[in-house]
Amino acid sequence: MTTTIAEQEVALIDLLDRLLAGGVVIAGDITLAAADVDLVYVSLRALISSVATAEEREILPRLGSAL
Amino acid sequence: MSDELLWAYCVTDAGDPPPADVERVEAGGLAVLVNRVPREDFNEEALQRNLNDLPWLERVARAHEEVLERALSAGTIVPLRLCTLFDGVESVRRMLEEEGDGFRGALDLLTGREEWGVKVLLDPSKLREAARGDDDEPAAEGLGEGGAYLLRRRQERETRELAGSLARGVAEQVHSRLEEHALASVSRPPQNRELSGHEGEMVLNAAYLVEAERVPELRDLVSKLQTEHEPLGAHIELTGPWPPYNFLPEDAAAVG
Repeated sequence: MTTTIAEQEVALIDLLDRLLAGGVVIAGDITLAAADVDLVYVSLRALISSVATAEEREILPRLGSAL
Repeated sequence: MSDELLWAYCVTDAGDPPPADVERVEAGGLAVLVNRVPREDFNEEALQRNLNDLPWLERVARAHEEVLERALSAGTIVPLRLCTLFDGVESVRRMLEEEGDGFRGALDLLTGREEWGVKVLLDPSKLREAARGDDDEPAAEGLGEGGAYLLRRRQERETRELAGSLARGVAEQVHSRLEEHALASVSRPPQNRELSGHEGEMVLNAAYLVEAERVPELRDLVSKLQTEHEPLGAHIELTGPWPPYNFLPEDAAAVG
């Protein structure tokens, strides 16, 4: 196996681009449905300024394994 | 009711070694990777709120991706959409039994194949320069002030249109060359600059499914294409291998 994306610095936007639109949607007891994705995207726009600020202050946590 | 929910990451073959710190639920030779999360933070109502809290979303998204990547380095995976949550082991197992054929088919299709992302960025000033060409100052003599103004306006519009078509041309050429190396491709809208903070003009944002053994060829092609479009300040970004978010067969992606 080649090096995975994990060894590169992944931009949040690249991740959300995939995570919110991709992946199999199945009947979990709770599943983030398409409508909710739109909701997230809409609010993301509103949050842009806070992202920039948060990144400057380095308060966005870089999580390891556990959720 | 338990105060925990099971967060599901992806489906794998039950024979693949499981990543550390992740539980597995198995049925019919397949496995779902799961972790326990507090119900109070992940019930539907809490999710509506938490998903709109960007630091929360980032934490959850990165944690999800991190598990998928570790699983991907151990075998083939079918990623599940963010926030696929189950009430307990039994409901995960039931889902796996019901959707088993679709997942098996998807795993077979994805074995030995990788998703790679490609973004093409061009330098807007170089694009304008190329569009303006050599004859950028045609004679405005004898036109008077109003005529010269209108001429300038027309030239600016033509330059803008030409720059746009040059950009589209590069995007199409790069995409079709990459497609020759890929089994499938997905072209996505350029990213929002405010969110991505990218510099330059994003003219292509696409994903390609390639045979793992052809990845070195893909790398070579990308650097060749970047050199080819150097005059327009091209920067071609290749990322991967990603969990195959964009290449899941329709029947495996059906909403149950």
